Parts: sequence; C-alpha cells; structure tokens
Amino acid sequence: MSEWLRVFRRGIGIENPLTVLMIGLCATLAVSTQFQNALFMGFAVIFVLAMSNVLVSLFRRVIPSQVRIPIFIVVIASFVTIVDLVMKAFVPSIYSVLGIWIPLIVVNCMILGRAEAFAYHNKVGFAIADGLGMGIGFSTVIVLLAFVREILGTGKIVWFDSTLISLPAGFAPPSLFLLFPGAFLVFAFMIVGARWLNERLDARKEGPACRV
Amino acid sequence: MSGVSQLALLFIGAALINNILLTRFIGLCPFFGVSSNMETSIGMSLSVIFVMVMASTATWVVWEFILDPLGVGEFLYIPAFILIIASLVQFVEMYLRKASPVLYRAMGIYLPLITTNCAVLATATEAAKPGFFKMNIALGASLSLGEALVYTLGVSVGFGFALITFAALRERLELVPAPRLMKGTPIAFITAGLLSLSYLGMSGWFGL
Repeated sequence: MSEWLRVFRRGIGIENPLTVLMIGLCATLAVSTQFQNALFMGFAVIFVLAMSNVLVSLFRRVIPSQVRIPIFIVVIASFVTIVDLVMKAFVPSIYSVLGIWIPLIVVNCMILGRAEAFAYHNKVGFAIADGLGMGIGFSTVIVLLAFVREILGTGKIVWFDSTLISLPAGFAPPSLFLLFPGAFLVFAFMIVGARWLNERLDARKEGPACRV
Repeated sequence: MSGVSQLALLFIGAALINNILLTRFIGLCPFFGVSSNMETSIGMSLSVIFVMVMASTATWVVWEFILDPLGVGEFLYIPAFILIIASLVQFVEMYLRKASPVLYRAMGIYLPLITTNCAVLATATEAAKPGFFKMNIALGASLSLGEALVYTLGVSVGFGFALITFAALRERLELVPAPRLMKGTPIAFITAGLLSLSYLGMSGWFGL
C-alpha cells in the first residue's frame, strides 16, 4: 500500500508532468483561460489517462512490442472519443470552448508517455495509481494556472453564469493574461514556484540537495 | 476562394498571422524540446513541412471520398486520422531509409516523434474539415485539395520559422545571467511569451 501511495504521489509532486517533466504543454496553455474549462479538461485527462493505463497494463503481456505504439494510440483514441461524445452531450457550453482540445488529447504526449513508460511494464494496481497521480498533478497545475489567468485577466471567476469571486471594482484587468503571451508568462512563474517548492521539500527531508 | 492573391493570403494567414506555435499553442512539445540546438531545429522544421503536407493530402482524400460520403466522419475522424498519420509516417520512414539515405540521415530521427505531434493532427484535420480547429478564420466551409495544400504549407512553414527564431534566441539565452531558479525552461517560457506578443501584433492584418 505504501508503494501504491508512493507511485500515486510522484505524479503530483516530484514528477509532475507539467512543471517538472514539461510534457503535454499545448493543451495546458491553450485551455487555461477559464477556471471552469480547466476543471473539465482536468477531469477529461484524468479519465483518459487512468483508463488507458489500466487497459494497457491489463494487456501488457499480449501486446507485441513492435506494434505497441499504434495499439496504445488506438486505446487512447477510443477513450478520447468517449469523452468527446459525452461532453458534447452533457456539457455543450464547455464543449464549444474546449472542442478542439478534446480530440487533441489523443496526441497529448503525456498520456502516450505514461502508457509507454509506466503502464506497459507494471501491474494494474500501480498503473491506476500512476494514471490517477499524473492526472491529478496535471489537473492541479492547469486549474491553478487558469485561476490566476482568469482572475487577473477578467477580474473575476465565473462558474456557469454565476460569479464566484470578483476583485474590487477599481481593478482594471489587463487582458494580456487571457491572451497567448500571458499563458507563457504565468506558466514560467509556476515552474519557478514548483522548483522552489521541490527544493524546500528536499531540504527538509535532507535528500539530494538540488533536484533541478 | 480562388485566384493567386487569395492563395497568397491563405499562406500568409496560416504562416504568420495565425502562427500555429505562438498564437494557437499547438505543437509546443517540439518547440521547447528541440529548440535548444539550431541544427536539430532546422532538421525538425524540414521534417514537419514534409510530413504535414503528406498527412494533409492523405486525410483530405480520406475525408472527401470515404468518411464524409459514408456519414461516419463525426465519430471516426479521431482514430482514422491519427492512424493514417501514424502509418504514413512509418511508411515514409521505411521508404526514405531505402531510397534516400542522405535525406534519412537528415530527418530520420524526427519522423517517429512527429507521429504524436499535435500540430500534424491539428493541421491535417483542419485541412480536411476546415473550421473545426478555428485556426484560420478566413478558411471557407471546405477547401479544394490545392487550397488545403497551400494552407498546410503555410502552417508548416510558419512552424519552422517560429522554431528556428526561437532556437536562435535560446542559444543567446544560455549566456544570460538569470536568477538560479529561473535558469533554463522558465526563462525560455518568458522569452516565448515576448515572442508570442510580437506575433500578436500581426493579428488583424488583411482582415485575417
């Protein structure tokens, strides 16, 4: 069980796919303009990642290694199609914004990378832990990024037509944060933050002095 | 859309004004992955141009003659297009290894990487069923094969241009006295943000 937790925690912290491994960036930067969209994107990624990890891990002895990549892609594409159609049916307002990025989860290097690097060589239980951990790590970063961008860019956080938080009226929101350059800038500072946090944690545990 | 000037606008719109890397965030993995070296960026750019044009031709033909007439495009396009691209890249790699060792040495190692590059899937899908990715608002409801090819060429040349510019910037960034935590990727992201800001200045040109 402690091994399971270790695998699970790794995705959130020291091997976070976004801030440490830097994979799956495209979707992150593009989708993180609104808190609400980022949350749904996070759910979609957690679902696809966990399910494709489970399936790849279950069939790892049957899949011949020469054609494993096309097989992984087909597995991932099927789960992405499920998410695509479910979102289109139940949350059409979110789908119309996320629309283009849901099919692109197929080629998100993070999901293929976890299938190749982890699920193909490990038992189902650990594959679930890895899929959930990496997915939650991804979602945490994307939701935080979206939160910062939305609150600075528009001055408020919106959740399905109702305003959750709004900054005082005197604040003139710079729309730069909603545009493309803002994503790069905010994300750069998030990486710095993650590095600083990892260093602090390492120092406390008296592990290796610097992991960056 | 027809006429040479329309095609030129389509090209410029795809390459500069709606640059796929810096204004659409598609294909960022190679943008940060290979851009630390000038030579690899040039190899990667050439391979992307080559693969994108081939992939768009293939997806256009499949969409026009198989998926759309049969009415199954709506739910089969993701698996169909990604499989087409993956197998196409595999065949091209095998053919190049046999037919042109020089070309293979120049771009062989990039070809498998490109299979899972979202830029290729996005462009090929956009060329086959325009408007889906909203990558270029000037695109009509559907493109002829010629227009799709010009569009793809524009996107891929824009990709290469941005990648090579960024690689040149990053070579200089190595020497910058940045704070310790900022060194490497964070400072590269900030540079990319500024580069993207300059591309943003082009939005709205020619009504594109």
